[in-house]
Amino acid sequence: MADLEIRNLHVRIEEREILRGVDLTIDRGEVHALMGPNGSGKSTLANTLLGHPSYEVTEGSIVFKGEDITEAEAHERAKAGLFLAFQYPVAIPGVSVANFLRMAINAKREDPIQVKEFREQLRHAIELLDVDRSFTSRHLNDGFSGGEKKRAEILQMAMLKPDIAILDETDSGLDIDALRTVAEGVDKLHSEQGLGALIITHYQRILHYIKPQFVHIMLDGRIVLEGGVELVERLEREGYDEIRREFGAHV
Amino acid sequence: MSDIAVKPGRHREATLYHALHGAGAGDGRPLAQLREAALAAYESLPLPVWRRSGFWTTSLQSLDLDALEVRHHSPGPQAIPAVVGETLPDRERAGRIVQLDGSVVHVELSPELAERGVILCSLEDAAREHPELFTRWYSKRLVYERHKLEAANAAFWSGGVFLHVPAGLAIAEPFEIVYTIGEAGTAQYGRTLIVGEPAADFRVHEYDLAENFAGQALHANAFELYLQDGARCRLAQVQDWSAGTEIFDASTRFVGVGRDAHCHWLPALLGGHLVHQHLELAVSEPGGDMAFRGIFFAEAQELLDVFAVDLHETGPSGGDVHWRGAATGQSRASFEGLIQIDPGAQQTHTYLQIHSLMLSPKARIDAIPSVLVSADDVSASHGGTVGELDEDVIFYMQSRGLDRASAVRVIVEGFFEPLVSQLQDEPLEEVVRAKLAAKLARAGDFIEEYAKSR
Repeated sequence: MADLEIRNLHVRIEEREILRGVDLTIDRGEVHALMGPNGSGKSTLANTLLGHPSYEVTEGSIVFKGEDITEAEAHERAKAGLFLAFQYPVAIPGVSVANFLRMAINAKREDPIQVKEFREQLRHAIELLDVDRSFTSRHLNDGFSGGEKKRAEILQMAMLKPDIAILDETDSGLDIDALRTVAEGVDKLHSEQGLGALIITHYQRILHYIKPQFVHIMLDGRIVLEGGVELVERLEREGYDEIRREFGAHV
Repeated sequence: MSDIAVKPGRHREATLYHALHGAGAGDGRPLAQLREAALAAYESLPLPVWRRSGFWTTSLQSLDLDALEVRHHSPGPQAIPAVVGETLPDRERAGRIVQLDGSVVHVELSPELAERGVILCSLEDAAREHPELFTRWYSKRLVYERHKLEAANAAFWSGGVFLHVPAGLAIAEPFEIVYTIGEAGTAQYGRTLIVGEPAADFRVHEYDLAENFAGQALHANAFELYLQDGARCRLAQVQDWSAGTEIFDASTRFVGVGRDAHCHWLPALLGGHLVHQHLELAVSEPGGDMAFRGIFFAEAQELLDVFAVDLHETGPSGGDVHWRGAATGQSRASFEGLIQIDPGAQQTHTYLQIHSLMLSPKARIDAIPSVLVSADDVSASHGGTVGELDEDVIFYMQSRGLDRASAVRVIVEGFFEPLVSQLQDEPLEEVVRAKLAAKLARAGDFIEEYAKSR
């Protein structure tokens, strides 16, 4: 059984069905890319996997490490080892990055993390993400630039060490340098910690830095095409319209 | 406006309160005479009811004043109620004075500071032992005739606190003032007078606390602090009349800031059955500057009515008013904030902001900022926000492993933290944070209900 198994997932938000039968399995150590045009349901899948209360699963299941988590609360999924890097991370005023990280780490543990151990891990993550040391004393995402927010997401991922991470358009709005830093960070966590990743993206450019083993194309709430990295090249050549003509004619 | 007919007795205004603004009743008059005049006012005034258009009412008519009495106690460590030891941090301090019900039961002052001329004693003692100082400052800006409980305080006050910090003395550790009510049926008429001589620099932490008891009690306080030329004071107040007690608190507090003086004032109003506070910070001489911060958090059935005044009597002067309040349960809170700039107070620059956070579908916060400007070379503005718990923020934190209750706690703490951290005093900050957390823990069910209702 794969670490994360999504079976025939149907999801609606406010009476509108967005996902219409998604099947996807991801194991630790695998890098998957989920591509698709705007509105195809990529972010809905990401939010549903973490249990956002606005998204209602009407059919199908999500099984993580053998446990059915379809109805689990978000924090239970996080504790089990799922992580979502948000497309639009929200600000948490009054709470520093370091304090928030400490709280999140302790939420997963019986005993609170030792100060020294925490500092050591934080230092390591800061180097990995190439952020300024003062970054961690700022209030989380409060007044952060787009690039800083995305780095903060990956910093949290590095500290929380999930088994499977979903990166929801982490590449959007990043300049090329920030994109490279973020992508290298993800790549390192993948190779060092065996992270499994679902990289959700609209564009191809992040996939120049992180090579996925599996590529899935989503259209209108379904995965219509699956394959290897050659799909990315096909998309670059043909665009989504061609794929839509092929698979989406009936919708 | 003048041609609109208003039915007598039914008139309501958009703003309810006025600044004290002007000389007080003291004016060097003998105390006995002031008490007598206040008694006459007390006897002629009804229990107050304040009404504002928009259907806000603060009424003290459910207070059974005749059933209350001023209780006296002998001083000594045995007289200090347990709540004092449980609440106040164990820390270095310049001095501490504790009033239980109608009596001061404990006074301590660092011997070194006593030697350098600091006076800390009951106000009763100050009237006897320091008559010149007392007469010069007592009720210099406070009055007694605006409502019955103000008159009651001026007529009946007992115990009380007098703190006098001599010129040029800088004291890092705080003076702690404690007003505490031990049992039901008590009327506490507390009165604090603090004077900072030129260039004095000190901190005052006031705690208003009660034991847990059923039944009514009253705290009607009058507080005045005068900062002379170049004096600096960080004044903080932690008011928590214990959840579930039926304590009425109707108090007036005035801070006068002299030439080039500075006051940082932060009241934390954290509980009381019915709390009515008139808080006025006046910059009275050129170069005066102030930072007026405030926190409130109403829960259960509490009613909180705050009037905060940023008064500029001369310029140039600076002001910065920043309040944050939350409400849960079925509580109601009203915050009226006034910037008033008098004629001639040129080159005054001030800003008032009030942020509120709703945590229950049945709670209510009215935030009413207003500006009265009578000078033309000034800047004065106000702003504010009304917020509620943001589900996206809660989800974000949950996705990192925090459960819902922890996420809410982080949001509320984060909401207040910009002001709590401005206390710049770690032990006091911890007291306030702990009290905020306790209130939140009690409010859990309402917060869930609120989430579901949206």
